[in-house]
Amino acid sequence: MSIHAAIATNRFGLGARPGDIETVAGDPKAWLRGQLTENAAEGFPASGLVSAREHIRDFYDYRLTGSARNQSGSEPQVDPEAAARYLSDARRTIVQEIQARTLYGESTDTPLHERLTRFWSNHFTVSARKFQTTPLAGAYEREAIRPNILGTFEDLAEAAIFHPAMLIYLDNWQSVGPSTRPAERRGLGLNENLAREVMELHTVTPASGYTQEDVTEFAKALTGWSVGNPRFGQMRKGETLFAGAIHESGARTVLGKRYTQSGGQQAKAILHDLCAHPGTAKSVAFKLARHMVADEPPQGLVSKLEVSFRTSGGDLTALYETLIDAPEAWEAEPRKVKTPDELLTSTSRLIGLNRTLAGDARDVFESFAQSPFTAPSPEGWPDTADAWIGPDSLNKRIEWAGRIAERFPTLDARQILIDGLGDLATGATRQAVARAESGSQALVLALMSPDFQRR
Amino acid sequence: MPALSRRTLLALMAAAGSASLVPPAFARGLTDRRFIFVILRGAMDGLAALIPDDRETAGLRGAILPAESARLDLGNGFRLHPALTDLHALYGAGDAAFVHAVASPYRDRSHFDGQDVLETLGPAGTRDGWLNRALQAGGMEGLAVGYALPLALKGDGRATNWSPPVFDAAPADTLERLADLYAGDPVFAGPLAMARSLPDQEMSASLSRGGPVAQYRQALGAIGELMASEDAPGVGMVSLDGWDTHANQPGALQTRLQGLNQGMVALKDALGDRWASTCVVMCSEFGRTAAANGTRGTDHGTGGLAILAGGAVAGGRVHGDWPGLAPGALHEGRDLAPANDLAGLLKGVLRDHLGLDRARLDSDVLPGGARPMDGLIV
Repeated sequence: MSIHAAIATNRFGLGARPGDIETVAGDPKAWLRGQLTENAAEGFPASGLVSAREHIRDFYDYRLTGSARNQSGSEPQVDPEAAARYLSDARRTIVQEIQARTLYGESTDTPLHERLTRFWSNHFTVSARKFQTTPLAGAYEREAIRPNILGTFEDLAEAAIFHPAMLIYLDNWQSVGPSTRPAERRGLGLNENLAREVMELHTVTPASGYTQEDVTEFAKALTGWSVGNPRFGQMRKGETLFAGAIHESGARTVLGKRYTQSGGQQAKAILHDLCAHPGTAKSVAFKLARHMVADEPPQGLVSKLEVSFRTSGGDLTALYETLIDAPEAWEAEPRKVKTPDELLTSTSRLIGLNRTLAGDARDVFESFAQSPFTAPSPEGWPDTADAWIGPDSLNKRIEWAGRIAERFPTLDARQILIDGLGDLATGATRQAVARAESGSQALVLALMSPDFQRR
Repeated sequence: MPALSRRTLLALMAAAGSASLVPPAFARGLTDRRFIFVILRGAMDGLAALIPDDRETAGLRGAILPAESARLDLGNGFRLHPALTDLHALYGAGDAAFVHAVASPYRDRSHFDGQDVLETLGPAGTRDGWLNRALQAGGMEGLAVGYALPLALKGDGRATNWSPPVFDAAPADTLERLADLYAGDPVFAGPLAMARSLPDQEMSASLSRGGPVAQYRQALGAIGELMASEDAPGVGMVSLDGWDTHANQPGALQTRLQGLNQGMVALKDALGDRWASTCVVMCSEFGRTAAANGTRGTDHGTGGLAILAGGAVAGGRVHGDWPGLAPGALHEGRDLAPANDLAGLLKGVLRDHLGLDRARLDSDVLPGGARPMDGLIV
């Protein structure tokens, strides 16, 4: 049935391009499974984009240009010209990263893989809103998330949490064990930000009942995991490294278990157990079901995903296959309202990115309040309709659709319904479009129909 | 910036839904008062904004505080951060006050859970916001500046949000047809009904370009502009993000406090005569650690700072209890203790400023037994 093709391309994918529904109709599930391969990760066009390591090297170069750390160890004096250059480079970088990702969303042949990449990138958020991470957020997604979404959850978590961008974003690069010599000599100490967010947002969640003591213990275990600065030599500058001199040594106890490992392995052993904790299976299952199917997902689907996660040892490909096989994910009625990013991406796949951005990408992103890579906090972007649809935000969507219709009045709304939604277009939407007083009004009604606003 | 027209705001409110349960005359009598709630998301470091003269201050966090000589003395054991010059002047004029060591009932240290508690202030599982429940109790309307309606204003009471337009408005006929298409839709129908009578693009404020100084100034100026006219909503809300200063706090906080200071001025100017009958309450989900951390910042804590401003505030005072910073006085040995109950503070303001009924406050708006704090309103 071609409704399954429409669901595969819209709910699982990023939205149908003209011809997609027909192409996929033969075997929608096989089309989805076929995207779960390493090749899909390599399809992202990264040429011209710069690695996180290079950006961090630039950052250190700017910090040290014309500056000298004074005797008391206070902030280096920064050359204003170097600072301005760094900032303008950082802004150019984030624009390039947004362009590359947005263009890929428009054209990718493996949209399920891309949807999952964005899902995990949001789960393990590194936001470009912080000064030091502005140039890193895009590279982080390409390096830590994109290549790792088909393996185990633990491998993905480790790649994300120990990536230099995350160590910087959540401050661990500067966290120093309180009883180490650098702490005593230079007044440095613990920063528990990463430890807390790993437990709260990335893995077990507060429902697991951890305490402040657990957070502090994990933070101590994480000390030493930092980013190579010039003192570690040119080779290691900008890379994740374990600096034993600032690690708080000794056994740690987290969630009732004692960890006697020494050095950097201790934090990894704790992370291993956090990933295997039942609370992690539960929260990942719920979050994925919520993302794919409904803000309040069917309990049956959540349970299936949770069982799959636990019995497979967090095998993510097995998790996605469970999702693809679950009848709850294929119910005809679309229940997810598109986020701004999903609305723009699905529209770009139908009518092209240039038309979708209606002449000014910055205006559109600002109006929709969801520029890529700039989530407001480590929690990432919200994934429920109430966060995205209010009077003002709905008005913004209508104004955007009107802008496209005004600039591209020859777009055929009836064809857009057929190409984009297939059998998911309801009679009410078809009728409203058919009866519109003009082609441009028809286009606004099609883009703003409840059918196209959902997936 | 030209003021929002009276007609559009009335239309906005008329569209906003359910009929008030309160007699119209009573409701009207309340609406010449303005209450504005500002969330400083990310946990503002209250101990750096309002610095206690306590003996322990220097030892705990001297290295990340502005020099003592630069602090703005309130003459009562507290000094303001040097960026808060205009707030200092307001305090001197009796138009600003503080409550230190204030906290919601939340005692863990997650921003997200902490903000949920701060915005709902009800038993576990509460889904609507306390500010929305206050609207219902007072027969008032609420308005937030920002791209989304914050949780505190969500619920059955009449509330909406405003952000600056980017593109032209859609023609009325198109909106009419969309309304038909959305009829009965649980997600789109309600917001469209409100959107159809949203403000008619007369404001020119921008909200997201520029750094925190511009952002805070614009957001607070915009809410003042929206609430200045006679028929404007009685209750407003603004969220100012970016207070999570884990590392290199001095510079980051300086910028944000400057923004807050300029925002207060923008708000007062925009409200004009209405300032005299306004009470603004600003606070965070929790405070920050008493001691500096190892990265010239502070981590998530407990007791925070509430800033009260407006002509209606009993100003020129630091209200409430001060637990001090002695080692034994700190919560769990690390945070400023939660000496003052935020729900009690809000209850006092809602009772004395907006005239809400005590029984209704205790049963619906802010259940949980908090005693209203006395003397916050002139």
